[in-house]
Amino acid sequence: MNGFAATIPILIVVLSAIAAMLAEAIRHPGERMYIAGFGLIGLVGALVASCFLWDTDAVSFGVVRADNFALFINIILCIVGILTMVFSNDVVEREQLPAGEYYALTLFAISGMMLMAAAIDLLVIFLALEVLSLAVYVLTGLRRSSAAGAEAAFKYFLLGAFSSAFFLYGIAFAFALTGSTRLDLVATAMASGPTQTLALLAVGLLAVGFCFKVSAVPFHMWTPDAYEGAPTVVTAFMSTAVKAAAFAAFVRVFLSTLEPLQGQWVPILSAVAVATMIGGAVLGVLQSNIKRMLAYSSIAHAGYLLLGIVSANSAGKAAILFYLLAYAVANLGALGIVALLGTAEHPHDQLRDFAGLWRSRPGLAGLMTVFLLSLGGFPPMAGFIGKWYIFAAAVQEGHYWLAIIGVLTSVISVFFYLRIVVMMYMTEDAAAPVRPRVSMPSMLALAFAMLATFYLGVLPTKVLDYALQSIQTIF
Amino acid sequence: MLLSTIVFLPLAGALLVLLAGGRGDNPEREGTVRLVALASSLVTFAATLYLWWAFDPASADFQFVERYAWLPQFGISYHLGVDGISLFLLVLTGFLTPLALLSSWAGVHKSVKLFSFFMLALETAMLGVFVSLDLFLFYLFWDAMLIPMYFLIGVWGYDRRIYAAVKFILYTMAGSVLMLLAIIGLAYAHPGAPSFDVLDLYKLHLPWNLQNWFFLAFALAFAIKVPLFPFHTWLPDAHVEAPTAGSVILAGVLLKMGTYGLLRFAFPLFPDAAVFYAPWIARLAVIGIVYGALVAMVQPDMKKLVAYSSVSHLGVVVLGLCAINVNGVQGAVYQMLNHGVSTGGLFMIVGMLSDRRHTRLISEYGGLKAVAPRLVAAFLLITLASIAMPGMNGFIGEFLILMGAFNQYPWLTAVGATGVILSAVYMLWMFQRVNYGEVTNPKNRALPDLSGREWAMMIPTVALCIFMGVAPTLFLRPMEPSIAKVIELIHGVGR
Repeated sequence: MNGFAATIPILIVVLSAIAAMLAEAIRHPGERMYIAGFGLIGLVGALVASCFLWDTDAVSFGVVRADNFALFINIILCIVGILTMVFSNDVVEREQLPAGEYYALTLFAISGMMLMAAAIDLLVIFLALEVLSLAVYVLTGLRRSSAAGAEAAFKYFLLGAFSSAFFLYGIAFAFALTGSTRLDLVATAMASGPTQTLALLAVGLLAVGFCFKVSAVPFHMWTPDAYEGAPTVVTAFMSTAVKAAAFAAFVRVFLSTLEPLQGQWVPILSAVAVATMIGGAVLGVLQSNIKRMLAYSSIAHAGYLLLGIVSANSAGKAAILFYLLAYAVANLGALGIVALLGTAEHPHDQLRDFAGLWRSRPGLAGLMTVFLLSLGGFPPMAGFIGKWYIFAAAVQEGHYWLAIIGVLTSVISVFFYLRIVVMMYMTEDAAAPVRPRVSMPSMLALAFAMLATFYLGVLPTKVLDYALQSIQTIF
Repeated sequence: MLLSTIVFLPLAGALLVLLAGGRGDNPEREGTVRLVALASSLVTFAATLYLWWAFDPASADFQFVERYAWLPQFGISYHLGVDGISLFLLVLTGFLTPLALLSSWAGVHKSVKLFSFFMLALETAMLGVFVSLDLFLFYLFWDAMLIPMYFLIGVWGYDRRIYAAVKFILYTMAGSVLMLLAIIGLAYAHPGAPSFDVLDLYKLHLPWNLQNWFFLAFALAFAIKVPLFPFHTWLPDAHVEAPTAGSVILAGVLLKMGTYGLLRFAFPLFPDAAVFYAPWIARLAVIGIVYGALVAMVQPDMKKLVAYSSVSHLGVVVLGLCAINVNGVQGAVYQMLNHGVSTGGLFMIVGMLSDRRHTRLISEYGGLKAVAPRLVAAFLLITLASIAMPGMNGFIGEFLILMGAFNQYPWLTAVGATGVILSAVYMLWMFQRVNYGEVTNPKNRALPDLSGREWAMMIPTVALCIFMGVAPTLFLRPMEPSIAKVIELIHGVGR
């Protein structure tokens, strides 16, 4: 039994996904069924299992390792997943999404993400990447009637497949050089002996694969289209969960296995980080569609996270984990609100749709403001501590220019977050769109996200400690 | 616990306001909300007065210190304390907030609940800035303050409010994020474990290179806030577009945070750089004095005139700080208080006029003395305080500043002193055009005089202007030890 221990959270999620599929199969046409419940049970189970596995450092089959790092990511994923399930229950029927497929694919995606965070073998990382990517490609195009959705999914799929090939090629080089795909064996082989061209090729190709998944500039082209074309609740899910999982593997591969080659990859990733921060912030200013705007915002946030990878002292590494959590709750909250206000006829994703939201829905407007200000990095919200932590790491490592660019782009990004706030509070709604009612569970989920945002912003000590502890387990 | 109580009382009041306001935007609860907000701000004011009473004026050290570990991993603590410099700024904040709330009773009718909430939240952030002895905590309050102010300008302001609000927040943030990096750099320059504690960091002696960069980053943030020429362009927009209550708080308290920051953080933390850059900052200050005064003179809009006069007056304060001697700094701190009271008062008067006539153009008025003599009397007294008439508060402050600055920069001070004269010109000219002569505009014939609520705003303001003019020792004596200590820190005695 012990051999399976590390995979238990993943297995639980897979089981719940299968349950969701079966439920759809036996459901009579038109029968209402609470399929989200399976997801909730599975994710809560995975959350509990992850907590039990904490500090056990279980390894299964030599390729999956449930160290605290993986478990921390698992917990982020479970929180994201649970909130997504709650929102979905409101949205799926209204948007006429096929319920069974939707829930099953979301849960399979989460299982892939968990595997990706826990994998300690390059090939298993690749497998996990494909599991999650395929599920997310389909989710993006789930609205079959929507031309934009189909275009987004196709674009995402083509570019994604391309980057997967890069990634696989990188693995092949690493294998050719070291004779193994196990991360620890690759690390020892890379550390001994002089740096070879093959090693650099492997690093570069792996970096391209990861940069694509975390949507770093210049590999970000798919992001705005995919985020805009996908159903909003899927956008909320993939902008947070996919990013967390991809960064988990990115950190594990680059900061432990490839750390000996830091001298080679730090300059490249620094340049990518700068381009990503500037690109995300500047292009975000130009958008009038909230989903596109938040897509560019998520690109900018990927830039800050890359800054964390570049500033890889122990503080920088823990900063990434904390930032992922802070970003996840705020971004999921913001996009969740967009999703909850949308209907099949009216997606409620244009900037002007938010005009006067404060008048008709003061509570939602307040929540949205908190999430946006947190994304913008204002105290006393989580985003402030997250940014502070990343910039502190960068300054500590002597990357002053990166830190200066980081803070200045964060001011630029505040501008577009405030555009939404201006719309909600300072513009009257001439023709208010019909906004659907938000159910109690969804309100509670949003309230939870808000509380988490404040908790992480005011009393972050505990979580910072956990982040620091868990990052230490991968070295 | 006294300081924490003072800082978070308004926030508690803000939450109480949300409860009292009921669901949504409920006009029937408007009265209750206003009373709750006013009551919480008055309780806070009473608490600051108690603090003044309990404060030991002979001591130069920080008093009522509270210190708890907050983020021990990074040497960040929740560290509060008050000395002779911050004490009166707390009292000033406590004094102005209820007045600002009162001033909004006539002008603000849109969602009073949210308005009162943001006013009280703003007060917490302002009080927090003045008592923080940990740079991280200070930055947290400093940045958090922007949010309520942004809403106050953007939702309840005049026509170009959104532009002004966004400009205000971006301008201020752009300056302060660089300070954030400097704060981090400074904390990690602390030998051994990083420390954000101001008292620890005072003891450091950093190499010139670091001092130079850190000082510039801090000074930029504070120069924007003051605002020092040429970083002042956000101020006229923000002041003019903000609702009266927002202008009162902006001019009365927010600008003081810039000068306070220079005195508490930028100068003593980086003493070599401070001594090196002080003459240059003094030059900018003098340019600001003259420029602000000249621009104020030609303004057709009363509110804009008062806004530019703030640029000029704050230039005088910075000139005093840059003298880095006891007279100059003491005068500067005193002048910070004076400017808060008198300019706050001027904005209240302009607000009263624009509540009545819905215009702020000087040309729309004239001959008000015959129509509303009591209002004009209050207007006159506050104007005299603002132009530093002997016997009023402004005189003491400006006199001390000029005396202190003359020791250091005789020529600059001579030029800066013209600002004092110019201020008399533009203020009195405005006063004359608004209040004397015939009533030219028929709309002004039936203007009501001060109402009971307005009496309640004017009496304390005017009384304080006179009181601070005749009994300055009451304020100057508790400041003196703390100021002497800061100057010692800057000049490196006892380091």
